Amino acid sequence: MIKTQFYRRFYQNLSNDTRHFLRSPGLVVTTSVAFVLLLFFIVLPVWSVLNKSLTVSFPTVTVSFPKTTPNRTNSGEMLTEAILDAIKTVEGIEEIRVIAEIRHRFIVARFNKNWDEYRAIYDTRRTVKKTIKELNLFVEDIEIKLGKERYRSFATFAEFFSKARHYRALCNSIIVGLITTVLICIIAFIFAYLTVRGPHLMRKPLKALAILPRIAPPFIFSLSLILILGRNGIITKTFNLAINIYGWPGVIIAQVIAFLPLGYLMIENVLRSLDPSLDDTARDMGATEQRVLFKITLPLVSNGIFKAALLVFILSIADFANPMLIGGDVPFLATSAFLLWIGEGNLEMSAVLCVFLLAPSLIAFSIHEYAMKGKTYITLGGKPTQAEYRKISPRIFYTIMPVAVFVSISIVVCFCVIFAGAFTKILMVDNTFTLEHFTSVNGIRSLANSLRFSLGATLIATPIGIILSYMLMRKRIPLKKVLEFVALIGFGVPGTVIGLGYILFFNSPPLKLTGTFAIMMINEAFRNLSVGLEAGISKLQQIDVAIEEAAMDMGARAPRIFIKVIFPLIISAVAVGFVYTFMVAMIAVSAVIFLVTPGKNLISLYILAVTEIGEIGMACGLSVMLIFTVVLCLGALSFMLRYSRFTMTLRGV
Amino acid sequence: MGHRNNSPILEIKNVTKMFGSLAALNNVSLSVERGKLVTFVGPSGCGKTTLLRAVSGFCELDEGRIILEGQDITLFSPNARDTAMVFQNYALFPHMKVAQNIAFGLETMKKPKKEIDEEVKRLLVLVQLEGLGERKPHELSGGQQQRVALARALSLNPKILLLDEPLSNLDANLRISMREEIRKLQHRLSLTIIFVTHDQEEAMSISDLLVVMDQGVVKQMGSPTEVYEAPIDEFVSNFIGHINFLPGEVVSLSGDEMTFQIAQRNLKLKAPPIPVSEGDRLKLVVRPESISIVDRKTELTRTENVLEGSVQGAMYIGSIIRYTVNSGGQIIYVDESDPQYKGIFPEGSQIKLILKNKIHAIPA
Repeated sequence: MIKTQFYRRFYQNLSNDTRHFLRSPGLVVTTSVAFVLLLFFIVLPVWSVLNKSLTVSFPTVTVSFPKTTPNRTNSGEMLTEAILDAIKTVEGIEEIRVIAEIRHRFIVARFNKNWDEYRAIYDTRRTVKKTIKELNLFVEDIEIKLGKERYRSFATFAEFFSKARHYRALCNSIIVGLITTVLICIIAFIFAYLTVRGPHLMRKPLKALAILPRIAPPFIFSLSLILILGRNGIITKTFNLAINIYGWPGVIIAQVIAFLPLGYLMIENVLRSLDPSLDDTARDMGATEQRVLFKITLPLVSNGIFKAALLVFILSIADFANPMLIGGDVPFLATSAFLLWIGEGNLEMSAVLCVFLLAPSLIAFSIHEYAMKGKTYITLGGKPTQAEYRKISPRIFYTIMPVAVFVSISIVVCFCVIFAGAFTKILMVDNTFTLEHFTSVNGIRSLANSLRFSLGATLIATPIGIILSYMLMRKRIPLKKVLEFVALIGFGVPGTVIGLGYILFFNSPPLKLTGTFAIMMINEAFRNLSVGLEAGISKLQQIDVAIEEAAMDMGARAPRIFIKVIFPLIISAVAVGFVYTFMVAMIAVSAVIFLVTPGKNLISLYILAVTEIGEIGMACGLSVMLIFTVVLCLGALSFMLRYSRFTMTLRGV
Repeated sequence: MGHRNNSPILEIKNVTKMFGSLAALNNVSLSVERGKLVTFVGPSGCGKTTLLRAVSGFCELDEGRIILEGQDITLFSPNARDTAMVFQNYALFPHMKVAQNIAFGLETMKKPKKEIDEEVKRLLVLVQLEGLGERKPHELSGGQQQRVALARALSLNPKILLLDEPLSNLDANLRISMREEIRKLQHRLSLTIIFVTHDQEEAMSISDLLVVMDQGVVKQMGSPTEVYEAPIDEFVSNFIGHINFLPGEVVSLSGDEMTFQIAQRNLKLKAPPIPVSEGDRLKLVVRPESISIVDRKTELTRTENVLEGSVQGAMYIGSIIRYTVNSGGQIIYVDESDPQYKGIFPEGSQIKLILKNKIHAIPA
């Protein structure tokens, strides 16, 4: 009963929206373009990954020949028998079928799933030729062709669970993701608590330290860890320790430092918006400081912490570069999926890994976007108090302060090590000062490529994001929620998944785009649509709809309203979206690594490559250059935000 | 032309608008005469703003037609309608100067630059903002912003000017002077204006025609005096001014005299302007200011329209004093003006009430 009512209302709304929508042709065109773009550059690539994961393909060789041969009548049956017998001896064949037509015979041989197809056709051809020669037949029209048979099947999933290497990757990714998330939440809360309520002198420095990792691409912390605790690391060598940082510990430490700023900023935001008088009231009613912390403060910020946790978890399991650099022999989903593709060409298994990467990420994303929407506590009623928080009680302070100090020192050390590595020949081996790491031709060329790549991606992403935000906020569009979900999903889909998706989807004509520089930029742009989109949305929320209505009332039509009224008002959001997308593109790794073309290497990928081959000094030098670029971008961002008095919360790098 | 001038400029015919299962407008029909100021008034959520937005084109109707000067504009989009709206928060374009704001509509019409400049200057003078054309909206006071919004709306020479609670963001004194100014401007330019407000006093003071709305329907339409003196039902009576309801029964009826029984006491009254017959239960609608209060011992020359009672409380407001009087169990509020001169009855005083004016009644 309620259900039918719900559907009736749903269809009624849909039909009303559609009727309204069809009345303005401009909107129809814009929306259709948006839908098509999102379909091709987000939905279909992801869909091809899902599709691939459920497909098993076998190489086949088909031998076809006419039923009657010119020199002997009715020899077809005999020939068929002979060839069949011969083919049975070919290695790797699983199944043979004969298809009889009026004039032709087809013999289809299906090989093992992983059998090399060139070997298959070579062996078959040789055997068939030999047989014909032996029979002394003259068959002119014999054709031997290579093919593929595809089946829908869960076989690859079954194989996934039967091979320890694969399902361990799943376990590792999930467990490391959870540990990282929990650690970040604890550390971020400690930092937030100290910067909001701690001693005044400590607040600014601690805040600066907590967001410092943001100026660096997330993977440089692996580099630092290798330099400090690796086999020839500073600590390892000095104290002659037998530490193995590769694997879980390395990945967790690197991720905790790299993603701390995101967690910190979100939790600090919630904590700051709490009314101090709530604490004072509880204290007034006789609660101890510990009781206030656990019964009042923590419950009030718990939803905020949970939201931060979801985002950190998404970033952690999608992280590609840290597991790549410091994961050692331990498999992780993102890296294994990449290695399966590049090393074995096993697209099916790679796709299955991507499915396991996508699922938790999408679940966390959906919870964050929908279930938790608006579920942060805000203080109700009354005017905001100007009251200052009471001092943290000594007992709490001395419990959490050491953690903050330790983490702060670690962050600083990580940066110092990178700089030290960048300006010395080989750190710990030959500590002479040098600038040679900044002058490598390949490095500079890759930096130039990265700048071009990022600019391109930004020029695609920002206008689309801004226009989409306007359409979503202000226009009546049927199935708007779907459009919104797809546009925002770039954040929820791990780069590895969308990278593989592009490889699968854009690899055959008419959409053969792999190998071009353009597809790299398009990929990066559509992954980061949400930046411009959210900037636009939060700015538009601050602008009264009546302003557009007034313009419309004055006789202006939609394009004129957008250009003359809306655009000047949201220009700050456009600028923020622009710089932020640029910055994210500069440090992109996970999706572009699938699409990168020889000769068009990017600096972030080049850093990975030189680290892999042990050129740590070079990696440090390039990282310093990259840090410098990011710092420039962030400087521009904060200047713009301050200048335009525009606030929005940006999601992590 | 003559015939055109006599026909209403705007007709709203059987307009219905649903929000989900809630009718924001339920079969509303009314017409607006040329050169009049019509006010839609009612509590929040009564549909008055929705009706205004339906006229301006921002609200798509489920049923009904809107006809402007004989032309059906129901399906016209707002930019194609010859109406102009002043929004509640003025909706000035914050990034444009005052002059640019006013010129926006003229530029849309692609008028020559020189003509636009002259027109803007003329409008600035009209709303008394000469010399402020180069300011940005946020550099103006609330009242000045309001004038800019008015000038911008007038720039297009609209057939109807729509004002959506235009005074609600101003402070009390400014509100009164602005409403006088709007009225003057309307007379000077012979504008047709629809004015939306929830403030009944504002509505009374400014309108030619009052449209009282509640829950998506028009409750009563009429001049301010009509609505005030002869409200059609309890809602309208309550909404427009403070009121006493005295329930009772018609005992006998002869000509335009009737005997009405309130609280076991017979009261001789003039028959109300609604059809009544003997035995009907009615509610008398009596404004507190139309009752006089005198000492019980006072000899009165007339016996009709007189009730007895005792004072239960008195609230001194300054210009008036409001008594709460108990008359046979029925609580009646009485406003006496100039209490300083007349003196104040203490609590418990035995008094007589004289219902001064002709008395209005509604069905109980």
